[in-house]
Amino acid sequence: MGEHVGASSPRFNLAGRVRGLTTHVADEPVGAAAHVALHRSTVPHARIIEVNVDDALATPGVYAVVTGDDLYKQLGERMLTGPAFADQPCLAYDKVRYVGEPIAAVLAADLATAREAADAIWVDYEELPAVYDLSDALDGDTYVHEELRPSSVFADLRHLHGIRDTNVNYEYNLRTGDAEAAREAGAMTVSGEFWAPPTHHVPIELPCTVAWVNAGRLEMLTTTQTPSYVRQSVADLLELPLSRVRITTRPLGGSFGSKMYDRLEPLAAALAWTTGRAVRLLASREEAFLLTTRHGAAVTASLTTDEDGNLVSSIADVRYDTGAYADVGPRITAKSGMIAVGPYRVDNARIRSRCVYTNKPSAGPFRGFGVPQVTWAHESLIDELARRRGDDPVEFRRRHLLREGDVAPMGTTMHSADFVGCLDAVAEALDWGTPLENTGGRIRRGRGVAVGVKAVLTPTIANAVLQLNQDASATLLISTVDMGQGSDTIMAQIAADVLCMDPARIHVVQADTDVTPYDTITAGSRSTYHTGNAVRQVAEAMRDKLIALAAEQFGTSEVTLDADGLHAGEQHVSLPDLVRARFGARGATLTTEANFTTQWTPYDKETGRSEQVTEHWFAGAVGAQIAVDTATGRVHIEHLAVAGDVGKAINPRLVEQQLTGAAIMGIGHALFDQLVVDQGQLTNGTLLDYQLPSSKDLPDKLTPLVVESPHRTGPFGAKGVGETGILAVAPAIANAVRDAIGVRITELPLTPEAIVTALQQRDSSEQEDR
Amino acid sequence: MSTRISLTVNGVKHVLDVADDALLLDVLREQVGTTSVREGCGVGACGACTVLADGKGISSCLALAVRYDGADLTTAEGLDDNDEVVSSFVECGAAQCGYCIPGMVVMTKELLAQNPRPSAEQITEHLAGNLCRCGTYPEILQAATTAASRRAAQ
Repeated sequence: MGEHVGASSPRFNLAGRVRGLTTHVADEPVGAAAHVALHRSTVPHARIIEVNVDDALATPGVYAVVTGDDLYKQLGERMLTGPAFADQPCLAYDKVRYVGEPIAAVLAADLATAREAADAIWVDYEELPAVYDLSDALDGDTYVHEELRPSSVFADLRHLHGIRDTNVNYEYNLRTGDAEAAREAGAMTVSGEFWAPPTHHVPIELPCTVAWVNAGRLEMLTTTQTPSYVRQSVADLLELPLSRVRITTRPLGGSFGSKMYDRLEPLAAALAWTTGRAVRLLASREEAFLLTTRHGAAVTASLTTDEDGNLVSSIADVRYDTGAYADVGPRITAKSGMIAVGPYRVDNARIRSRCVYTNKPSAGPFRGFGVPQVTWAHESLIDELARRRGDDPVEFRRRHLLREGDVAPMGTTMHSADFVGCLDAVAEALDWGTPLENTGGRIRRGRGVAVGVKAVLTPTIANAVLQLNQDASATLLISTVDMGQGSDTIMAQIAADVLCMDPARIHVVQADTDVTPYDTITAGSRSTYHTGNAVRQVAEAMRDKLIALAAEQFGTSEVTLDADGLHAGEQHVSLPDLVRARFGARGATLTTEANFTTQWTPYDKETGRSEQVTEHWFAGAVGAQIAVDTATGRVHIEHLAVAGDVGKAINPRLVEQQLTGAAIMGIGHALFDQLVVDQGQLTNGTLLDYQLPSSKDLPDKLTPLVVESPHRTGPFGAKGVGETGILAVAPAIANAVRDAIGVRITELPLTPEAIVTALQQRDSSEQEDR
Repeated sequence: MSTRISLTVNGVKHVLDVADDALLLDVLREQVGTTSVREGCGVGACGACTVLADGKGISSCLALAVRYDGADLTTAEGLDDNDEVVSSFVECGAAQCGYCIPGMVVMTKELLAQNPRPSAEQITEHLAGNLCRCGTYPEILQAATTAASRRAAQ
């Protein structure tokens, strides 16, 4: 390892970011594009009888009005897209399935005109009974979709095609040992009904897509984390070869899972292609709330010990509310269902995890990919079990946590997942062994911990191309999208480390599918490991190439590369001279390419188990010290410690920022963040109503803790960290509340109202006991 | 209806014809080209569109451009790299995606102009209306504190 990996180098273009000089998608001049506004459904579930666009078309400045039916006539069922299920039309054509679903698009000279004309459209509906929540969906006889339509992306979903009369689009089952019998035979069981509400990502940058047709090609500039996916999706939609679709991006102003798969892109492509006009779609904040959400999830679960305190049974029934369209919900259901036991040794486990349609805005990926919702359940349960047994919650977890080489309940062996190290780190930061001072009165203090586990997205593909320029600078072509996580910074560090070059001389090209090679997605904390490995390999290939060139020139194979150039004994040549000698030209380039692909063993359909369900694991722990005001129910966080095992920190400063940033987002989920949907209507979808953490919600002290348990095939041992810090925040805080006031709350968020209500219930039941 | 107004933006005077209902945010982005000013919510709740108008921080997404005729506006791109606030933000690593940071920078400028020696609570309070979804608040508060001490040392 050289001097760049492991260094806390400043973030790429930091001064530019501070002064606002970074160009984002909506900042790009686009020429004469039509501005697009959408007419949206006012009802949650209905047949569309008629869409009347006459008044909209007559509005001065309107170029065109396009309805779902217009697109269906041209594109047929190809207009149904989605990463797991091809169930979502970019404009509704036969039915609407949630309040706010787009039905018609107005293209106009300016956005104000487009919006005015969109308001002038009226729709005649035949209303249908609606499915408002999980119990309607699972127990009722109204179905959001006539039949299931798995997409072609995931081969293992094909068997679901055509299934009717259900709102469950996917079910994952984990069966190991006999969990029911073990629970019966056990000495102590705790159980609970847990609820984590739907929430929203709210990256401050709003989604924006510009699409146009150029020389028979569909070209697009868009706010996406998934340019390679979008290229395929648009090519399928328009029946074009991939070479005739170009997707370009800019750095994103945050995303957290909201700007991936099919958002504005299919509609923009369809409108540009069918009208021949350049179109610009810019979501307002209110519209952005409808594009995707985080799944609300209900978990009914139990955890059992035998008399010696061994964990003998874990049972959970997990239901994800995926809204009107499946998006990647089926994947979330499986990937979080498989770890719903938590990072513990439990011989008998039974998990049922279902993805359920309702007539609400669609839910999709969100930092953590469904795992925080099940972590909420398993970390509340094990904590309650420890406390009821009179065991220390840290020691009790420690006893049962998976260690290196252990086989987890879903069948995969643990490696580079130091749960114990993370837990010990947060316990030490909180000074766990020293009792907290509680002086009585209305303020009660408490401490809690929680541990999280998540699998990295597997299988995936990363590619990298490196051009070494004759002047000893380099251009790195990858399709990873920098959205604040710092990929442009660390990928340059990795390449620079191999090539003994200043990272500032390596430019990372913004994803452009005409230029940068295929990369599955920038998501699931996968880029550091996957793309990082491809970048390391492409740089090593370049190093080998340079050494071979020098060996030719020196007449010896004993060549080394360092910051000054290439050496063999007394002989020396600088990089610029070496490349110039090879080509006889200034400005020439040398090119290398590399691929890094991971494989998995699909889980067994009956048991849900697999020997290799993922390439690697993320391990994290959170410790919280809080004070509850028992009069107002307000929770004040005195200290939040957040630990993540990152294998090896390529850039420790950026790793710490990912940990603390995720923890702050998690504070919102723990204490106040939630989407409120009433009778299918989103009631708090503006930033006046939707509460997010601000500088005033920071803990008095926030401690990031970087744990490094190197991964045997990670680049320099590294793994990602984008999600690790968020997994266990809410249960750590709730466990601290339990410690402070003796009340176990199972529904998020822990609002002052929820805490006061729980205290009143505790007091009234104590009175009844007397 | 449109009206001719003059705006001084980062020291440069611009004479502009603006619609009577045009927002200052849109005029700055589309007619002046200051794209550090960004829309995050459209309702004055996130702070990404904050600019200084005659030294006072305003949400340009709620401001009618015609009402700022003759105003002297400062945006983050108008500050140079040696500015005490800009350099403190850079030194403290106070940006992840960076989308909200220009708003934080100009709010910090406003605070230090009003109150050169703010307490930690005053800094937190002053920046509470600016949201950073990456959660860069610890570094942002540290940067504002650093900028204040740098200013005090001058």
